[in-house]
Amino acid sequence: MSILLDKNTRVLVQGITGRIGRAQTKWMVEYGTRIVAGVTPGKGGETVEGVPVFDSVQDAVKATGAEDSVFFVPARGVKDTVFETLEAGIRLIVVVTEHVPVHDTMEMKAEAKKVGATLLGPTTPGILTVGEAKMGIIPGNLFPKVAGRAGVISRSGTLSYEVGGILAKVGLAPSTVVGMGADSVVLTDLPDLLRLFAADPRTDLVAIVGEVGGVQEELAAEYIVKEFRKPVIAYVAGRCTPEGKRMGHAGAIVQRGMGSVESKVKALAKAGVHIARTPAEIGDIARSLLG
Amino acid sequence: MRLHEHEAARLFQQAGVPVPPFVVARTADEAVAALSRVELPVAIKAQVLVGARGKAGGIVFASTPEEIREKANTLLRSSVRGLAVDAVMVARKVPIVRELYAGVAVDPAAGGIAVILGTAGGIAVEETAKERPEALYRRIVVPPEELRGHQARALAKEAGLHGELMVRVGDILTNLFRVFRKTDAMIAEINPLIVTPDDALWAVDAVLEVDDSALFRHPELPTDPLARMEHPLEREAGKIGVSYVDLDGDIGIICSGAGLGMATMDIVGERLRPANFLETGGGITEELMYRVTHLVLRKPGLRGLLINLYGGINPIHEGAKGVVRALREKDVKIPVVAKALGNRQEETWATLAEGGVTVVTDITTEAAVAALCARLESPRSP
Repeated sequence: MSILLDKNTRVLVQGITGRIGRAQTKWMVEYGTRIVAGVTPGKGGETVEGVPVFDSVQDAVKATGAEDSVFFVPARGVKDTVFETLEAGIRLIVVVTEHVPVHDTMEMKAEAKKVGATLLGPTTPGILTVGEAKMGIIPGNLFPKVAGRAGVISRSGTLSYEVGGILAKVGLAPSTVVGMGADSVVLTDLPDLLRLFAADPRTDLVAIVGEVGGVQEELAAEYIVKEFRKPVIAYVAGRCTPEGKRMGHAGAIVQRGMGSVESKVKALAKAGVHIARTPAEIGDIARSLLG
Repeated sequence: MRLHEHEAARLFQQAGVPVPPFVVARTADEAVAALSRVELPVAIKAQVLVGARGKAGGIVFASTPEEIREKANTLLRSSVRGLAVDAVMVARKVPIVRELYAGVAVDPAAGGIAVILGTAGGIAVEETAKERPEALYRRIVVPPEELRGHQARALAKEAGLHGELMVRVGDILTNLFRVFRKTDAMIAEINPLIVTPDDALWAVDAVLEVDDSALFRHPELPTDPLARMEHPLEREAGKIGVSYVDLDGDIGIICSGAGLGMATMDIVGERLRPANFLETGGGITEELMYRVTHLVLRKPGLRGLLINLYGGINPIHEGAKGVVRALREKDVKIPVVAKALGNRQEETWATLAEGGVTVVTDITTEAAVAALCARLESPRSP
């Protein structure tokens, strides 16, 4: 068991023939991921790392039974490609691409909700289920070979690696590591990811790696109070990050006082979450909770 | 990217939002010449990208040509909140009986667009949002849906407006929404939206912030984001394609990823003072790391450099070569500590160590900061 992804998942790689697509496909295959197909329009018939490439998602799904997809598609093509992928029936899409226009993200999020799909990102490092498979760019060599009992959800890519490694250092291992993406609007909200870990019998606690800005941590705190019963540890990065020059009030009005590290830590602590002041403290707290 | 008020005002005007006549002037002569198009009395407003401009002396009023010359001259030689004023907007001053607030913004919690109408405008609107949220009326629109005329009017009615005023405020909201969508904006705001004694409506300020990630599809927008960066090193970083924020300390920082960068700042901040925040994103190459290393080292008075990278999407083994090349060229004597983990980490460590960098292989950023502190205390030990 795991969330979202295991060694049997039939994975499609979109944008597989690009520089990053090729390099990351190699790492994913080496980790044990069952990559069944790639798509780059115009490159149908080629192969990358032994994986057959198709011109469209529909062709790839028909030929290989691909179930889930990971994107190395350029930012300007992401929205269009998401709609193509959803039309072909795929219901889990990991958007690794950074710098996706936020108006596109809002439209993709609305569509995903309508058809009942899970979209992760943009700017997500992806998903890694320890010892089984990975979709995205999380480096497998930082994690233990065998899965453990700690779920990790991170807004930042690189910090998810650090926290995974920190858990390993104190003798614990993650079950699944999920990057939710660092943009202001994310395709899947933090409470929805917590809900998946709530239902996963292999996960006994969850570490949240948050950061200043947005409202995801506050939304998570509301959800945790309501119904999440596994222990949660959270670190919120950005205590010493200088505030940008700000103008206009709409941003502040929309945020309704949320968004600062203080607001997030306060909301999470009130919800009974264990607060870590640094990433390394997550390891110490997890150790004491899981023994 | 934030647009200047006059750029936003022009876009609002083109979309049908009523904006008082204005002229942009770069000299006192040009400000006086504005009178051929703008009636007295006028407001003279510094075109600087800061908030609360009025409180900081960036907005003045004039009733005669002489007064325009004198005040424009003073304003054009001054700075507002540290930013030099190189242009002013000369706009007709309109009489006020009431101030409203109209805003459209991306709402991260809703995953949609918040359309906001306030019955109290002005600088106090942010406090109103906190203390009396009921005085702000909002509606969420999830694209590709648009804001329909009847929905905008319903919002205006809910806010207590009636008759013609309700209809015209509704029109302004739909027009503002249209500019917001058309320019891929994060925020479009009129604060205040003025009601005059004869019930005319005027947008006397204009704020428009557009999404940097969408600039590729907006060749029509007037501006170059790099030109808006005040600090030379920040501008240089923009050219390289990385984020750089200049700070007061003396420890240079290079990180891959914003989250890791922020965590590094949190940890460094406990014992040392960061000279900058620099994060590369996912585009590391040998050349990019060569250029960012040069960039960070340009800061005067630097005592140490901390490099914190992960090789997920980034080829850190290539990046390491760039770092070492820059350190050699500059003949760097200050301690340089690097933690670089992930794909091809062993090659990366070998390259860095050979270039005189202290390599930390522990996963925690605390270990890297501790190594830097040790090097700062006894510079000779590697």
